[in-house]
Amino acid sequence: MLRRLAILLAVFSMTLNWTASAGAQAGEASDSSEYLVKAGFIYNFAKFVEWPSTAFAEPDSPIVIGVLGTDPFGDIINHVVEGKKIGARGFVVRRFKWSKELKDSKDFTNCRILFVSSSEKMHFEEVVEAVKGLPILTVGEAPGFAERGGMIRLMLEDNRVRFEVNVEAAHEGNLNISSRLLTLARIIAPTGPVARKPG
Amino acid sequence: MNFHNLSIKRKLTLITMLTSSAALVLSALSFLIYDLVSFRHLLIQDLRTQAEIIGYNSAGAMEFKDVPAATATLTALTAKEDIVAAVLYSVDGKEFAHYSRTNDAFPKVLPPLSQDQGYRFDGGYLQVFHDVTLNGEHLGTLFLQSDMRQWSVRAKRYGGILCVFVLISGTFALFVSSKLQRLISRPILHLEDSMREVSVKKNYEVRATKSYGDEIGRLIDGFNTMLSEIQHRDGALRSANDELKTRTLELEKEILHRRQTQEELLTAKHTAEEASRAKSTFLANMSHELRTPLNAIIGYSEMLDEEARESGCSENVEDLRKIQSAGKHLLSLINDVLDLSKIEAGKMGLHLEDFEVLPLIDEIVTTVQPAAAKNGNEIKLHVSENVGFMRADITKVRQILFNLLSNACKFTDHGTITVDVDQNDRDGYMRFCVSDTGIGISEKQQQNLFFEFSQADASIARKYGGTGLGLAITHRFVQLMRGQISVESEPGKGSIFTVQLPTQVALDNTKLARAVAANEGETSPAGSKIYQDTILVIDDDASVRDLMSRSLTKSGFRVVVASNGEEGLRLAKQENPLVITLDVVMPEFDGWSVLKKLKNDPALTDIPVIIVTIVDNEPMGLDLGAASYLVKPVDRDRLAVLVERYRMAHSASVNRPHSAPSVSGAKKPKRLSELKSIGDLDHADDLVGRR
Repeated sequence: MLRRLAILLAVFSMTLNWTASAGAQAGEASDSSEYLVKAGFIYNFAKFVEWPSTAFAEPDSPIVIGVLGTDPFGDIINHVVEGKKIGARGFVVRRFKWSKELKDSKDFTNCRILFVSSSEKMHFEEVVEAVKGLPILTVGEAPGFAERGGMIRLMLEDNRVRFEVNVEAAHEGNLNISSRLLTLARIIAPTGPVARKPG
Repeated sequence: MNFHNLSIKRKLTLITMLTSSAALVLSALSFLIYDLVSFRHLLIQDLRTQAEIIGYNSAGAMEFKDVPAATATLTALTAKEDIVAAVLYSVDGKEFAHYSRTNDAFPKVLPPLSQDQGYRFDGGYLQVFHDVTLNGEHLGTLFLQSDMRQWSVRAKRYGGILCVFVLISGTFALFVSSKLQRLISRPILHLEDSMREVSVKKNYEVRATKSYGDEIGRLIDGFNTMLSEIQHRDGALRSANDELKTRTLELEKEILHRRQTQEELLTAKHTAEEASRAKSTFLANMSHELRTPLNAIIGYSEMLDEEARESGCSENVEDLRKIQSAGKHLLSLINDVLDLSKIEAGKMGLHLEDFEVLPLIDEIVTTVQPAAAKNGNEIKLHVSENVGFMRADITKVRQILFNLLSNACKFTDHGTITVDVDQNDRDGYMRFCVSDTGIGISEKQQQNLFFEFSQADASIARKYGGTGLGLAITHRFVQLMRGQISVESEPGKGSIFTVQLPTQVALDNTKLARAVAANEGETSPAGSKIYQDTILVIDDDASVRDLMSRSLTKSGFRVVVASNGEEGLRLAKQENPLVITLDVVMPEFDGWSVLKKLKNDPALTDIPVIIVTIVDNEPMGLDLGAASYLVKPVDRDRLAVLVERYRMAHSASVNRPHSAPSVSGAKKPKRLSELKSIGDLDHADDLVGRR
């Protein structure tokens, strides 16, 4: 209960910052905290990422967003993607706990976007190993996430939400990330961070 | 400079050049316009493509609200020099990010625009609006503003190129047309040169050379043909001119020749006139010289005749009469010749007066009666009742009729002579017809009857005598009075002479009219102081004075004589005579002066003056106021008749002062016959006809 209050407080304080830095932003994240923004980012990523055709059973199969570990979003992400569609595809949010068996779970491999919570930083390598070769966009928050094989890392910088992309990791998962997204991102090579490309 | 006066060379060059340049400029301009329009279109397309790319690239930044990323994207337009501003507007129309090249103003809020256009021109700028979408989702609007730099640069560059192009091609056209115009101008200039040569040098042998078979070629052909024609005509004209000159020379020679002839003729004419004058003078002198002795011969033979008869010396009477007869014949010949010469010299005038015809006829018949009786002829007189007065020269009428009658008497033996007088009131002619039963005249003789010096037959002259001038003078007198004379005759049966005279003879000589007035004046009543029957004779010639005084004394007048003018004037005042006879040619104080003095003296002006002279100048005498004019030698009968007339006029005026005096002496035929002392002389007729 106390923890929840603490999170709420934190969200509120961040909202102020967010609002100050990106008050003109339209969209679903206008009345949300840091995670509201981040949920919005995750939703937006879906627009700029192209999955291989084999990734979906049907043309209207929903995009499954999986949240692994401690869920920092709560219901926010559900609200953000509720009723949204990209093309014919809708969204489904699922939550997972890390276990050795999870990697064989059909639900888990059917995820198309996997948010790896900071609570799972102990298992990053395992998680990355588990989804390797699968068309799953991995999004994380922990520092060094992208460098260690994650695809996109969300972060706060000057009170603004920004992100890093490990293009090589995405290629390994047969995912095509739009250049338009890349122009906004900091591109991370597996060996270390590189300079952001100019748009 | 006036285009119209340019040379044909320049005109052609200019026309070609201007035409081609105009076409060139027009096509270049249309090309330029087309190019600029399509280039503008291209620019719009380009800008729209730019907007599409930028919009596409900005979609992510818009989606993630990444202003720096959007700005960075827009800043990429720096490479595009024409794009001066680029703005991204969010969905609600507010500015999201912008790029500006030179801090140009750009709309802070998305301007409203028509949906279908996507671009517009505003203030020299091209503005493009582009929707930024992501997967069909509208994220915002991209606004691009271009200053169309390439377009204006291109327009300028193309304009320059066009100018240069036009200049170069114009020059080329000038070059080409100045070469090509020779095709047309050279033949024309050649033609002009030829024409100038013809007109300036008058060289008609020049021919223009034909270069081509076009219109100018035909013009040159026509010109050459014309030249040939002119040359031909020029030659003809020149030869005609030469001929004309030759002819003119000939003519001049002819004129010179004629002039010489004319001068010779003039000289001849002068000589002839001189000769004529000399002849006239000679005749006048001769008549004077001949008459003076005749005067004495006739006068004294008459006197001797009378005295012989009175004294009974009858043996001398016959000889004396022969002398008288011969003298009178000679006188008549002289008179005829003088009359004829006067007529021919045109000096015979008319003295018109009104007179009664019947008394005149009576007088003539009475006068001719002795001549008729000599050949045993009878004279019959038929006068129409309507015959009255006529206006003519009574002396000449008398002479005409006398000549005809005496001729009839002469050529008729024991026959009848008939005188018919008739007046035609319709045509205004008096007709006198004298017919006889004499020897007649053949037709051939009739032809020459009225010409001078021609009698019907030469033998007639021998048999009957005469000069052959009588009818000629008669004819001339009739002509003078504008009448006609004709003859009908048959040899052996007789002749009919017909004279027609106007009852009013035309008069065109005022001098004659005055003469008539003077004649009328002579009959004015004389003053009562005149001593009856006194006659003053003024003459320097003693024989004349003697003859006159004897003759007049016989007629019952008292005669006073004066030998010069002064004495005459004195005696006139002293005696106040009934009539004065006055000689003209007198020493010191001639008759004209005496006459003037007489007429200027109020006491003497009424006395009638009869001029008795050798000088034949009746008009002058009448002008000066003479009552009558007699030429010497004096016919005593005529003198007697005149004096008798004045005496009767005087006595009439004394007895019946208001009645008109009788004019004609013929009223007293008995008295006349008494006075007439010349019996059956052949030529008494001629004498009576004269004053």
